[in-house]
Amino acid sequence: MNENLFASFAAPSMMGLPIVVLIVMFPSILFPTPSRLINNRLISIQQWLIQLTSKQLLAIHNQKGRTWALMLMSLILFIGSTNLLGLLPHSFTPTTQLSMNLGMAIPLWAGTVITGFRYKTKASLAHFLPQGTPLPLIPMLVVIETISLFIQPMALAVRLTANITAGHLLIHLIGGATLALINISATTAFITFIILILLTILEFAVALIQAYVFTLLVSLYLHDNT
Amino acid sequence: MAGPETDAQFHFTGIRKYFNSYTLTGRMNCVLATRGGIALLLYFKLGSKKTPAVKAT
Repeated sequence: MNENLFASFAAPSMMGLPIVVLIVMFPSILFPTPSRLINNRLISIQQWLIQLTSKQLLAIHNQKGRTWALMLMSLILFIGSTNLLGLLPHSFTPTTQLSMNLGMAIPLWAGTVITGFRYKTKASLAHFLPQGTPLPLIPMLVVIETISLFIQPMALAVRLTANITAGHLLIHLIGGATLALINISATTAFITFIILILLTILEFAVALIQAYVFTLLVSLYLHDNT
Repeated sequence: MAGPETDAQFHFTGIRKYFNSYTLTGRMNCVLATRGGIALLLYFKLGSKKTPAVKAT
């Protein structure tokens, strides 16, 4: 267990040089560019997964929304692969950094909002007032809807950061507890080890689910604005 | 989602034609009016805070 529980979330460096950019770029080499019509097994499986995901994500979109297909698929692949790589021991997970997630969430959200205001100005403005609102509630609801709009990118970023960070912290804590309990009580240490295994399985699921949720929400914001 | 065919269902008259919570135009005007009102309120509130010397005389 680390002396400092939060040491794994610090910006990584090697021989004094920051290597966070290399770590962020690393997942891209796990997705080779297809160079043939019929590719090898790895690329074929990746293509099948990408096709499955993109068909499901883009089904609700019109032609305008589907121009975002590359962006959305890149997003889900990046977040999913980064989260999964972060589950390797002693690795740094870029998506535990709020700065990184805000850097993804804010431009994407702003892009959807600006797209909406540019191409469907009336509908985008009317969206702030739900249809059928009673007259006395109109001002309050407009204010509430405006606030909820500006909270969307914050919620996107904080949701991803908190889920991944909390999972990693729990793994650290329960792993440390298992080690500490080995000399005290083998049975309790075994039970804690089982909990650690279950938690690791959960974290695998959370890594993929959070990538899907992030991308799905961006896709839904886009759908509202196209 | 509301569209032109939905707006045609409603037949408002007077000020309700432009400010209502059913048609696209009505909803847009309500939103703009609310935000404009808040902007004016803030403008006059902040404007009056900036000139305390004038108030004292």
